[in-house]
Amino acid sequence: MTALMSVHNVGRSFGGFVALADISAEFERNKVTAVIGPNGAGKSTFFNVLSGVLQPSAGSIRFKGQEMAGLKQHRFAHLGIARSYQITNLFPELSVEENVRVAAQALKTRYDVLSHRDRYPELAHKAEAALGEVGLLHRRTRRARDLAHGEQRALEIAIALVADPELLLLDEPTAGMGPEETKQMVALLERLAADRTILLVEHKMKMILGLSDRILVLHHGRLIADGTPAAVQADTQVRRVYLGQNDGYA
Amino acid sequence: MDLELILMQLFSGLALGAILVMVALGLTIVFGMLGIVNFAHGALFMVGAYAGLWIAAQTGSFWWALLVAPIAIAILGMVIERFLIRPLYGRTPDDPLLLTFGLGYVLVESVRITFGTDGIPFSAPEALQGVVDLGVGYFPIYRLFVVGVVALVLLLLWVALEKTRFGLIVRAGARDPLIMKVLGVDVSRLWLLVFGLGVGLTALGGVLAAPMRNVSPEMGTLVLAEAFVVTVIGGMGSLLGAVVAGLLVGVAVSMTALFAPEMATIVMFGLMAFILLVRPQGLFGRPGV
Amino acid sequence: MTTTDLAAGRLEARERPRAGAALDRWRVPLTIAVLAVLPFVLPSQALAVNVLIYGLFTVGFNLLFGYTGLLSFGHAAFFGTGAYLTGMAIAHLGFGWFGAMLTGVLGASLLSVVIGALSIRTRGIYFCMVTLALAQLVYYVALQASGWTGGENGLRGFTVAKADFFGGFSVNLLNPLAKYYFIMAFAALALWFVSRVLNSPFGAAIEAVRENETRARACGFDVERTKLLSFILSGALCGLAGTLSALHLSIVPLDALSVHTSSIVVMMTMLGGAGSFFGPFVGALVFLLIEDVASLWTSHWQLIVGVIFILFVLFLPKGIWGSLIVLARRAGRDK
Repeated sequence: MTALMSVHNVGRSFGGFVALADISAEFERNKVTAVIGPNGAGKSTFFNVLSGVLQPSAGSIRFKGQEMAGLKQHRFAHLGIARSYQITNLFPELSVEENVRVAAQALKTRYDVLSHRDRYPELAHKAEAALGEVGLLHRRTRRARDLAHGEQRALEIAIALVADPELLLLDEPTAGMGPEETKQMVALLERLAADRTILLVEHKMKMILGLSDRILVLHHGRLIADGTPAAVQADTQVRRVYLGQNDGYA
Repeated sequence: MDLELILMQLFSGLALGAILVMVALGLTIVFGMLGIVNFAHGALFMVGAYAGLWIAAQTGSFWWALLVAPIAIAILGMVIERFLIRPLYGRTPDDPLLLTFGLGYVLVESVRITFGTDGIPFSAPEALQGVVDLGVGYFPIYRLFVVGVVALVLLLLWVALEKTRFGLIVRAGARDPLIMKVLGVDVSRLWLLVFGLGVGLTALGGVLAAPMRNVSPEMGTLVLAEAFVVTVIGGMGSLLGAVVAGLLVGVAVSMTALFAPEMATIVMFGLMAFILLVRPQGLFGRPGV
Repeated sequence: MTTTDLAAGRLEARERPRAGAALDRWRVPLTIAVLAVLPFVLPSQALAVNVLIYGLFTVGFNLLFGYTGLLSFGHAAFFGTGAYLTGMAIAHLGFGWFGAMLTGVLGASLLSVVIGALSIRTRGIYFCMVTLALAQLVYYVALQASGWTGGENGLRGFTVAKADFFGGFSVNLLNPLAKYYFIMAFAALALWFVSRVLNSPFGAAIEAVRENETRARACGFDVERTKLLSFILSGALCGLAGTLSALHLSIVPLDALSVHTSSIVVMMTMLGGAGSFFGPFVGALVFLLIEDVASLWTSHWQLIVGVIFILFVLFLPKGIWGSLIVLARRAGRDK
């Protein structure tokens, strides 16, 4: 089976600053891959390049065999890549249901000016399914900005999920969550992982070790380790730059 | 078309541009630091001109007007920042913009009530009237004076920004507002000063411009649009951009006036449209603003 | 994140007040009904026509500002172009009233393609400045092309006495009340159109762009194209308001293209409430009433308008109608 996405020698620099250099990796279907690394290691840049927010300055990204470098960002969603954000990034004044429905709509109809929204009942169904999956159905009429933090994180996932993406990029899905909320989010991610390809950035090591099939370790913009959780844990270089250095991550 | 005429027109463009530089710099400094566009900027330019007019009438001296009016209007600017704009920090950037826009209305109407709706001529002091022979042609002394004053102000501003702690903070803050917190700067006092400085610059522009055109309540409208054009061409938030683009626009307008007078005002908007097409961030702007 | 929470579910159902939902469903017929009686309740018919024309102008502007989140300070360009082209088509080209209106609306739309494409290359505050400057460009072009536009004196000499329709039916435009309902018919059509746009998927798309551009892009919206389409629709509606104003006044003052006209529409929107359906007409009505009343005892009524506007920005940024909605929502929740 060919990989869903393959990244070849991807680099990104800002002016003289090299944020990402020479990254190569393949991502297979229905696997969960975690991207870890100390702050400033290039994780966010990596995600931004994979989701089309930033163009890579070098290298190529192939998704389902298609070259992605050079495409406009909104095309990524249409081809099957969806992402969530580290900082909650919703449509604050819209209702929970509208948040998800409009996300589903983006892939279906964007410039239909004259027909009524109700003409697309499948969008409402999709939204309902996504909200059901993250457990937010009972909040559907509430404005997104009025939700509790954990609920907003869940909505964040629902917005990404409703596009039915083949690749889901999750940027710190449990950021700012308490232990109880984190547990629920992990349960949700485990359900999602059953039949989806997921890439996630996380700081909570326990969660990563339990959840991922594979871990990439970035350091100073370079890929210093790539393997199963066990292999990465045993890697001496990783231990030196990352794991041993801060108890907060362990 | 002889060379002398072209030179004179070129120079006259520089004087026009110098005024624009004052206005656009004020706009840019405020935007760079506070992240807001002051839509009352043109009206404050006009108020500056009227303040100059009034002070000159009271004291009988243009020099007092030139000195006192910008300072007085700068203080007015600080009052505006303190009581009208400060409550809006933390809201969307549209809100201070809308507020200053309403303020512009109030200022124009207040001036109409106080000074009447008609334009008032304002003449340069006798020492600055007439022309001087510079070897390549005769130049109006007053315009030379304007260019000189603006050059001096730019020099002072440059020293203040490059050589003082205040300048360091302003430059750092314009690049990254977060750094202010790191440096432990009292942001609200700094913003007050910066807003006052920005307003003072445009008021100085108003006083300087007064003898070159009639002083009228509407004079700020076109100036505001011109300042926007200059800022867009120069690049939002770039001080160097404001200076270069201000002079560029001044010269472009005045050279067009020589060949096709009816196109003079239009040409600068065309210039802006062109810049938007080929370099949306402006000549000296950073992309993504 | 419990999956079912019936108690909360019941609470949510009550959150949207029923009166609000009904108001929403009937918003177009309701607005038209109110507009239909306006000439009889306002102090003068002239005021009523102005509410109609400026209300429509504000509705068009609100589509871009209130719903798409783009604050333009140059919408006089579309209003004025609509007006000028209508007048010029009649005065110089001998067009009939309908052909002239069509020319006005199409011309304004075309202009909005150009200005829109240029200005949406910039964002935020920059956008306000660019729209203002480009509108000034149109203003100065009209000022210079005095052979066509009448320059500073404005365009005159194109009175339309009656509007003929198919089948011999015609409206006497010299009768003020007949003219009012003639104009209202077009305003009603435009309102119906706007209501449909807001209910359409595209209506959801522009709100998404307003709420969060980054997220909208990540979801798969082409943000630039969405903005441009909204800009064009808005420009066309404002152009229509302009053509109606030309037919109404039988002159086009140069002021129709000025910053002042661009400003008026911003103020009306803010007074009424940006991003609400009824806000624009409420704002236009309030603004024109203030002007009407204040100008009775002072020629400096703009001072009063300016002060009221500042107070609104400071204390009532959602405008009159927008604040009413918030109050109703709060009342619905407290029940």
